[in-house]
Amino acid sequence: MSHEAHLPLKPAWFHILLALADGARHGFAIRERVEKRTGGTLKLWPATLYGSVREMTETGLIEPLEGDDDPDDDQRRRYYRLTPLGRDVLRAEADRLQALVDAARASAATGRA
Amino acid sequence: MNGGRPTSVRLALAAFRAATRALPAGFRATYFAEAERDLEDTLRACHARGGTGAAAGAGLAALTDVARRIPVEWWAAVRGRGDRSGAGPRPSVGERLMSWMSDVRVSARALRRRPGYTTAAALTLALGIGANVAIFTVVNAVLLRPLPYPDADRIVSIAHHAPALDLPELNNSEGTLNFYHGNAGFFSSLGAFTQAQHNLVGGDRPERVELTAVTPEIFDVLRVRPALGRPFGPADAAEGAPPVAILTDATWRTRFGADPGVLGRTIELDGTSTEIVGVMAKGFAFPDEDAVALVPVAIDPNGTFGAFGMEAVGRLAPGVTVAQAQQRATELQSRLYDFFPDLTPGFLEQAGWSVTVERYQDRLIGDDVARALWIVLGTVGVVLLIACANVANLFLVRAESRQKELAVRAAMGAGSGRIAAGFLAEAVLLGAAGGLVGVLLAWGGVTILVAHGPGALPRLREISVDGTSLAFAAVVSVGASLFLGALPLLRYRAGALARILRDGGRGSTDGRERHRTRSFLVTAQLALALVLLVGSGLMLRSFDRLRRVDPGFDPSGALTVGMSLGEGIRGRNAEGATFYRRVAYEVAALPGVTAVGLTSRAPMGEGDANGGSFYIEGEPRDESRLPPVAMYKAVGADYLKAIGQPLLKGRDLERADWEGGAPVLLVNEAFEKAYLGGSALGKGLKWDEEAEFAHVVGVVADAHEFGLREEVRPVAYLPMVVGNWSYPGMSRMYLVVRGDGKATPPVAAIRDVVRRLGPDVPITTVRTMDEIMARSVAQTSFTMILLGIAAGVALFLGAIGLFGVVSYVVGQRTREIGVRVALGAAGADIRTMVFRQSAVVAMAGVAVGLVGALALTRLMGAILFDVSTRDPITFVAAPLLLLAVLAFATWLPARRAARVNPIDALRAE
Repeated sequence: MSHEAHLPLKPAWFHILLALADGARHGFAIRERVEKRTGGTLKLWPATLYGSVREMTETGLIEPLEGDDDPDDDQRRRYYRLTPLGRDVLRAEADRLQALVDAARASAATGRA
Repeated sequence: MNGGRPTSVRLALAAFRAATRALPAGFRATYFAEAERDLEDTLRACHARGGTGAAAGAGLAALTDVARRIPVEWWAAVRGRGDRSGAGPRPSVGERLMSWMSDVRVSARALRRRPGYTTAAALTLALGIGANVAIFTVVNAVLLRPLPYPDADRIVSIAHHAPALDLPELNNSEGTLNFYHGNAGFFSSLGAFTQAQHNLVGGDRPERVELTAVTPEIFDVLRVRPALGRPFGPADAAEGAPPVAILTDATWRTRFGADPGVLGRTIELDGTSTEIVGVMAKGFAFPDEDAVALVPVAIDPNGTFGAFGMEAVGRLAPGVTVAQAQQRATELQSRLYDFFPDLTPGFLEQAGWSVTVERYQDRLIGDDVARALWIVLGTVGVVLLIACANVANLFLVRAESRQKELAVRAAMGAGSGRIAAGFLAEAVLLGAAGGLVGVLLAWGGVTILVAHGPGALPRLREISVDGTSLAFAAVVSVGASLFLGALPLLRYRAGALARILRDGGRGSTDGRERHRTRSFLVTAQLALALVLLVGSGLMLRSFDRLRRVDPGFDPSGALTVGMSLGEGIRGRNAEGATFYRRVAYEVAALPGVTAVGLTSRAPMGEGDANGGSFYIEGEPRDESRLPPVAMYKAVGADYLKAIGQPLLKGRDLERADWEGGAPVLLVNEAFEKAYLGGSALGKGLKWDEEAEFAHVVGVVADAHEFGLREEVRPVAYLPMVVGNWSYPGMSRMYLVVRGDGKATPPVAAIRDVVRRLGPDVPITTVRTMDEIMARSVAQTSFTMILLGIAAGVALFLGAIGLFGVVSYVVGQRTREIGVRVALGAAGADIRTMVFRQSAVVAMAGVAVGLVGALALTRLMGAILFDVSTRDPITFVAAPLLLLAVLAFATWLPARRAARVNPIDALRAE
């Protein structure tokens, strides 16, 4: 499946992918990261967070880390990382958003001029 | 870590955990241990930052989030079901419910495919459940449901006892009522009533009706008011007040067509025009349904201690319990001497005087009825157990035939819980079907009972299958279902199923264990059935003993016809006697009539029985001792011949005696023995100090005047007019008519005679003496019939149970039997073998049942008559009957076993 088929991403998905862009994290760390990045406007409560994680795992955007390669000390938490597809989709979504922002800026500039 | 959890965090987490149960199990199992920890960390952080409010807000947000997510996750779970592995995570409540519903559907289909099995099982349960619901309905309506008055449990009755005076039960006199009014502060109100029959004239013919005469306080005691009009006030009960009455709802409807303008209209009671001042609400029946109206009665403030004709009911003062009232009433009794200065000192002690304060409802129903009803309820409870055991046996048979299927399912990953759910689904379906049919049976049974039940059963008309009965039916059905559903579970744990699969589903090794379970059930069944057989046997023996009691007269072929001149005849005994005699003479002249008598009270029937202390000529009263006490009744015409009571000594009353009002009388043998030193003839007796003595001219055989269960009491038989005596009264008399041979006397012709001679005289009752006798033992026979039906059903079910087990075992062992036959065993040997096996179960059941019966029948002591609770005849006959029926139940399969063809048996495997 091409990554184009996943666009546009739900905001929650986008932020989860973004949170995993610089390395594997567990659920709670994803939540904290997203909350910090959005200044508290997007809070991922457990059902939505893990529901999204399940869906994104099934879609192949992210994957749990298997067995011993957990980078952290916390054995009871499951870590997720981006799959190559996930990384592509994140990039495509960022590009799409960038394009939108550019378009908006251009029209705003035109309007002011 | 747990120790430091703030309450708000703990509560929020608990709510969260509960809410996540609604999510699909797979999702929960994969993610939610972690999710919970995340949430806990988040909540703690919120709590640390913003306190309880912040934590609660976060918890609420998490819950809302779960709720939003539920449909999404379920959709995903259902869509993805195909690729989930069988050994999945523990299913959630929702999932289990869904899968269980599918089990129910599967079971329903399976049950429909086996109509024989389904019908047998459901009907067996329906019998058990129906019997329980019916009897519970009666118990609830009669014993449990309070009387229809506000705070009915606070209404008590007061009664006295003087066993040494041969008066085990005395109500109240005007004197005692005044005494309690003045002294008993533990009542907030105290009223009294008495029931009396009166002639109600008006309409097409005169009628004898039951009225309740009440003191005005009754309305406060019961806390009721008429639906229409006013209650009685003190003025209504005053001397010379215009006569008034309050109608019951039924009377108002039947006699006045529910006319709302009935107030102020009049009815004619005993020739007195009586104004209607009120109508009671529907459902008011005091003291029972027979009363058609209330009339006021006054208590004379100067009333004496004697004449205990009033029943007293009081409402307990706030905070006073029945036990406290009883205690304080007992303490009060010593002050009776102060209140009644003319009471002979030592009288109360010699009389064995005591007082009982009890809940009015208990008094109304009576200990005997209550005990009998509880015993019957216990009995049908046992029948239900037996029915359940039978269905359980069917269940096990079916479970066994499904063994292989179950084992395969277990092997394919169906957990024991899932298999259990299948059984439970079937049990619940059977229980529900049994419950529904059972309620129908109960409804029919209760309808029949209300229509034909014994008049002795109080509150009979209040009995109906109501919401409480249905709730009871539901509880019983669910209980039976759970019991049935649980049984196979004990046997089909996952391990057992694996073994079955290994054995190729033939169950060749654990056949013995299976057989043991079923034998145990049948043993229990037979034991219970024997307990019931013994119980009903004791009842049957009681009834038989009661029937064998010689009543002292000949009831067969005698008819009684009640007539009433009403209370207006009081004081004019001679005039009344003349009327009754004229009727008697004319009836005697009717064809087909051989003897006609008159009496103020038919034996064991209704009517007036008066009496009290009497005087013996030539024996001055010893004031320090209790005077002798005896009842008397008026008789006339050929009474002894008509009732068939033999004369033992002296002569009968003759026409010259009663027409001339000679001062003569008869006494019974008990009277002669108790008071007259064995030689009664010529002794002078009187009940009223002012009267002249009347002399005994004859002694009659003892008769059970007050019921077969009662001891014979001393009784005097007075002619209707005795010298200058003002008693006995003439308000009503009964014709006793003996017909030709066994033919019933001509009732219509007798009615015509009464109508012709006294157009205003109502005929109150027409009953044969046999009917009256049957009514006097109605309660015993009613209990006997119910217990008999229960025992019959129990015996039947027990026999079916044993038949089932023996047939099954024979079926299982067909091959073995075939081998034996092939090796030369004769049919008789095979039969013996089968019988021996059945005998073990039967004897075990009998042994356990006898022990149980010995323990339980002790409870029946009070309702038995002249039969020990360990009556040897019953305890021998009941097991023999059980064994005989069981022998038959065994004989059928044994015969089949003996006919096994070895070739076929061996080929079948």
